[in-house]
Amino acid sequence: MEQLIAPQFLFIAGIVVFLTVIAMHLIKKSISVVYFYVIQSSMISLLLLYSSFVRHSFFVLAVTMLITAVKIIIAPGFFLRLIKKNELKFSASSYLNMPMTLIAITIITAIARSRFFHPLTVINPTNESTLLISIAAMLISLFMIINRKGALSQMIGVLSLENSIVSFAFTAGLEQKPGLELGITFDIFVWIIIATVFVSMVYKKFKTLDVTEMSRLKG
Amino acid sequence: MILAIIILTPLIAATLSLLVKKRVQLLELFTLLSVATCFISSIFVVNKVISNETYSLVPYFSVNALGIILLLLISFIGLIASIYSIGYIREETKKQIIGFTRVKQYYILLNLFLMAMFFAVATTSPITTWIAIEATTLSTAFLISFYNKSSSVEAAWKYLIINSVGLLLAFFGTLLFMSSSMSISASHNLISWNDLLTNAALFNPEVAKIAFVFILIGYGTKMGLVPMHTWLPDTHSKAPVPISSLLSGVLLNISFFAILRFKIVTDTVVGASFSEGLLMYFGLISILLSSFIIYLQQNYKRLLAYSTIEHMGIIALGVGFGGAALFAALLHMIYHSLAKPLLFLSSGNIFLKYSSTKIEKIRGAFLAVPITSAIFIIGFLAITGIPPFGMFLTEFSILAVGITNHPAIAVIVLFAFVLVFVGFLKHITTMVFGDKPEEIPVGEISVWNTLPLIVLVIVLILLGFYLPEPLKILLNKATLVY
Repeated sequence: MEQLIAPQFLFIAGIVVFLTVIAMHLIKKSISVVYFYVIQSSMISLLLLYSSFVRHSFFVLAVTMLITAVKIIIAPGFFLRLIKKNELKFSASSYLNMPMTLIAITIITAIARSRFFHPLTVINPTNESTLLISIAAMLISLFMIINRKGALSQMIGVLSLENSIVSFAFTAGLEQKPGLELGITFDIFVWIIIATVFVSMVYKKFKTLDVTEMSRLKG
Repeated sequence: MILAIIILTPLIAATLSLLVKKRVQLLELFTLLSVATCFISSIFVVNKVISNETYSLVPYFSVNALGIILLLLISFIGLIASIYSIGYIREETKKQIIGFTRVKQYYILLNLFLMAMFFAVATTSPITTWIAIEATTLSTAFLISFYNKSSSVEAAWKYLIINSVGLLLAFFGTLLFMSSSMSISASHNLISWNDLLTNAALFNPEVAKIAFVFILIGYGTKMGLVPMHTWLPDTHSKAPVPISSLLSGVLLNISFFAILRFKIVTDTVVGASFSEGLLMYFGLISILLSSFIIYLQQNYKRLLAYSTIEHMGIIALGVGFGGAALFAALLHMIYHSLAKPLLFLSSGNIFLKYSSTKIEKIRGAFLAVPITSAIFIIGFLAITGIPPFGMFLTEFSILAVGITNHPAIAVIVLFAFVLVFVGFLKHITTMVFGDKPEEIPVGEISVWNTLPLIVLVIVLILLGFYLPEPLKILLNKATLVY
């Protein structure tokens, strides 16, 4: 597998993504979750930037700039405006309490290092630890979507899952062609806009972003 | 060139619709012309696929036998749903439930939704397939929340989150599959489905297994397989009925198509038993759970949604059984794509008449909307696999294979089929027969709401008795591939 980025840098990036997901679980205020998402996305953007310099491609650099704009400026901007507009001084509560959440995260991390996922390290044995860290970040992001009651937190959980997958792809040497990355970024950009509109709609209809209050559907 | 017409026409229609200021008729006309063009173009592609195995447009778009069957289904059901939409949306406008802006939004999103489905089927790259399937989620989210009620916003939110998570897992699975083909990434071409197959020998079997599990969970979410199905009943019951008919009749098949394409790569690497075992498991629990809920259901749109889950389960089970059951499963997919829109659209007429989706509130539908009710009964008989409808034959064929190789599963499924029939019979007789409430006027809604149903029921009955030769050839070719 062609490896464009130094393993040490990939390891640091993987660790940052992993730690920010855990931080998102530990932090109660949703605005802080947004800031941790910015840190996580910045790391992904740095990976992309590094990759674009190694590839010596202006197109890759342009795509990187676009992805950076979407992940670090536009998306957080949407979230912060949403919080300000609707005066959402809420805390993002979860189904499990903090000790149970930490236990669950520990178990998930152990699963990521289990025999089930270990075969994936053959894709790039040089970065074995980083690959498993990225998988752990993916699973913990997934857990965040399930565990959090706030619609905004769920949304950031989805984006964090996407960041974790991108981190895995870089670590495994599975970067896509710039054109495809552009397509994927466009897709995510549209997703962010639509999801943000929906969060607003949810707040207007239910006067809260707590998804447990959404119980109009039966059967 | 024809593929370009099929993919671009809905985009042109959506763009033109964006420019319309006041006239609803123009929106209707653009959509009808667009979908009719796609349908006619798809028919032209059939012969080309039969004679050349595939029909391609540059290296990036190509359809095989199953691909053209799906294009035909999307465009045909799209045409039926578009014609029906005219009457349905006009009726909703007349009742002042929606205004011009909503109507415009509806037709634009409908065209984008159709385009995304055409794109997903025709593209040669697994990643662009993923992008297109994600685009179907994005284009339909606002169609599901169309009525802007609390319940529809809730359904749309669930749909968006659950499907996005599912599709991200499918994306991860896709990346894993592509790991075997990254060596060709130096070339300028995208990694295609064919590249995945060609490089299957380089793929680590353990990675292939994990990748397929992610694909099945990811695209299985979009296909509505249990236990990832939770978004489906809410979505199908809250969306406008023409959209429900498209979601149920064609969208789920596209995810199934993606699963099948990854299945053949997995089968090449680890043998067929791995993917077949998983499909059997997901198929069986989908059939079982939905059959119990169908029996207990109190809302007729949710009833149809759970029936969709049941049929996705039957298709998955058929593929899992393999052999002759695979042919039956693909044919079952076609019958379901015709029968379910028929039921959704006729249920739409009942809804427009009674303004309720609760089974207990619908009485004497046969007296209120006689043609619709007759078609609803035909749809019920077809969907529950009663002879002489085609689904009897396909379900029988799947069970026949199952009873030989997996008798316990076949017996459980047979029990579920009986439960589904009894449940449907109970609900349909409650709704259709008896005296209608006095305040409900007699008569069909409009010709726009009745004509598409008549066309659909004729096609469904005809295909039950006679399978045209080209369709038979395409199905045989598809069975050989998958």
